[in-house]
Amino acid sequence: MHRWDARYKLVGLSALLLAMSAVNDLRLAPVMLALAAGCFLLSRLPLSFLLSRLRYPGFFLLAVVVLVPLMSGETVLVQFGWLGVRQEGLVLMLVIVTRFVSILTVSIVLGTQPFVKSVQAMGALGLPPLLTDMILFFYRYLSDMAAMLMQMQQAMWLRGFQANRLSSLPAYAALMGSLLLRSYAQSERVYLAMRLRGYGAAPRSRGQFGATGYDRAALALALVCAAGLVAASWWL
Amino acid sequence: MHIADGILPLAVSVAGYATTSGLTWFSLRRIRQLPDPQAGVPRAALLAAGFFVVSWIHIPIPPTSVHLLLNGLIGMLLGWYAFPAILIGLFFQAVMFQHGGLVSLGVNATMIGAPALLGHLLAQLARQRGWLAPQRQFSTGVVGFVIGATTLAMSVLMFFAVQIFSFDQIDPTLQRNALLVAVVGYLPVILIEGVLTAMVMTFLARVQPDLLGAPAAPLPELVAHGAPVQEG
Repeated sequence: MHRWDARYKLVGLSALLLAMSAVNDLRLAPVMLALAAGCFLLSRLPLSFLLSRLRYPGFFLLAVVVLVPLMSGETVLVQFGWLGVRQEGLVLMLVIVTRFVSILTVSIVLGTQPFVKSVQAMGALGLPPLLTDMILFFYRYLSDMAAMLMQMQQAMWLRGFQANRLSSLPAYAALMGSLLLRSYAQSERVYLAMRLRGYGAAPRSRGQFGATGYDRAALALALVCAAGLVAASWWL
Repeated sequence: MHIADGILPLAVSVAGYATTSGLTWFSLRRIRQLPDPQAGVPRAALLAAGFFVVSWIHIPIPPTSVHLLLNGLIGMLLGWYAFPAILIGLFFQAVMFQHGGLVSLGVNATMIGAPALLGHLLAQLARQRGWLAPQRQFSTGVVGFVIGATTLAMSVLMFFAVQIFSFDQIDPTLQRNALLVAVVGYLPVILIEGVLTAMVMTFLARVQPDLLGAPAAPLPELVAHGAPVQEG
């Protein structure tokens, strides 16, 4: 999985992701899960890594898991006072949860590719240079900004800042404004330094990629699986 | 405020990608019409990183705390770069932190980025009328409040509408009521976002006026006395 050409991997796994979101029938859920498990096993990632990544986005799904069986459908299975668990809602909830786990698993496999390599692959696939440049700048300076924020917050707390009141809003506004000013000032310095190094003048390379027959075969397999999944969801 | 992957049907996700593609194309077209499009790239990217980090700050609303979206502020400060900046931020969140998702990226980008572009257009209108100017801090604050609150309200409305109306098996009356309850429940956050946007705007008007889109003030002594610029 990790030796797969980045461009082909991006296209193949994205097609699988879209196809998985087309699944609306519970009968296709095992197929979808099997495809996701296949991708995960091929990536040889530890299960603990997957579980740790699933935990946080799982909270977003909690509302759907609780509300959909109560709000969707007409066939009441169990009644608790004025609340009724409905069969159609329960089936829909199971489809959503399976879809969520499958899509997230494939996304996590896709996300293990080095970020810069993914951006180069997107550039090679035709993403405008303005966007790839912005992504790379963003990626490069995000940790700097995070460190800057932590330092500024520590400085505020050391000066006795109380963060638990609404009256602290002006201090938060000043913190936000100062951080934006610092990022603005840094961007000016970065731009001037890059201009001196010839930014914007040299012809662009589209990254060095070389696809083999195995890469093409893997892409074809991924596309066939995706097309099959979409066709089956329309058929059922 | 993200919609996670797997919740939305394919048609909604595809429609989100179509809207995002259109808005990105339009934004890039307007950026390329600027005198030096590349000059704005590092500024937009670093400010986007700054916004991304700022959105991690917990703002206390007793008894709880919230994160801000700041899409109105992004629109006002980044102009046409706002939509690509938001798209990049969301892509990064989806890939690195599994917040949102790659399939729902188009819907999330439209939901947050389209109001940001509206914020940019409203800010341009306010600049033309002289309401958004470093010298007029009160009106700058009012413009900041209106744009900050309006853009978040739009995003909230889209966020809940997309999720609630995507499930066609739910009773329409129940859908409308759920939408109303959700938006009313979000009102305090909308007000806080407006107030903080106003405060940040007045702060920037005092400290760095050229960030508001107005040209940097010329050096007073050169203008006042008409002193020639010395060479060498």
